Amino acid sequence: MVDTLCNQARGKNIAVVGFYCDFLAQQEHSTTSMLGAILKQLVSRGEIPEHIRQTFQEAKKEFGGRGLRLPDLMEIMKKVVTTLPRVFICIDALDESTPKHRRELLGSLREIVRVSANTRLFLTGRPHIGDEIMKCFGKVVRILISPTREDIRSYLEMRLDNDTDPDIMDDELRADIMRVIPEKVSEM
Amino acid sequence: MSSEHQQVTGNVNLFNNNHSFNNIVNFNLEAEAERRQILRWLSPLEPQQRHQGVRTNRLDGVGNWVLETNEFRKWSGAEDGCSEPVLFCDGNPGVGKTYLR
Repeated sequence: MVDTLCNQARGKNIAVVGFYCDFLAQQEHSTTSMLGAILKQLVSRGEIPEHIRQTFQEAKKEFGGRGLRLPDLMEIMKKVVTTLPRVFICIDALDESTPKHRRELLGSLREIVRVSANTRLFLTGRPHIGDEIMKCFGKVVRILISPTREDIRSYLEMRLDNDTDPDIMDDELRADIMRVIPEKVSEM
Repeated sequence: MSSEHQQVTGNVNLFNNNHSFNNIVNFNLEAEAERRQILRWLSPLEPQQRHQGVRTNRLDGVGNWVLETNEFRKWSGAEDGCSEPVLFCDGNPGVGKTYLR
């Protein structure tokens, strides 16, 4: 998705940034570090804005160098997104973050789209978090992802072509696999 | 002007040039170091690395139907405020949400 949006954005002043939530990295993926990663991508496109440099230098003076906290990060984020003509933020697998982080993250994202009408969010996740997202944003555009038969055939062909033991396969078995699996999967 | 004098003047100029060149280099190095520190302070995470992995393993064409839907087109192309700002793609585990192109 990031790549499609990037292609559309080529030559225009459009920022496309993203983040992948990961069940295995739930603890290090705090709300602050996830939003920070998004902010980092936004500001590393060009020179770092002076207001960020100043906040950083002030934080550095404090004992041990103070880490960035969520309210400060959000202040910076709002300043940054409102200076950009168009921003796409893509977040994958929201269901893989902890409920606490997800609630904070969604709340922060809502705040971002509230202050910046130029910002678009692309979110993915399992269906059960749909209610949380609807509750947070009110209205959302929703697309249910389910592979088409054509998708499944492409995938099977790739897997069969890359089979590490191709001698066991004969044409009949291959034809059966290509016929039965797409049928069964699309019934699911 | 004696040739010795010219030699000295030349060396001084060379020295001055080198000196300001060094200043510029130092300044750039410092600015670059600060830039790296700031980016790391914003977040230690590097989501681009995961993106490279996804890009490598993605199978061309799979899931592209999503990009053809009216919902996607409207959301990605609409003028400010003309459409809902949030697009949510949901689906069961393994259906390919991460690998949408």
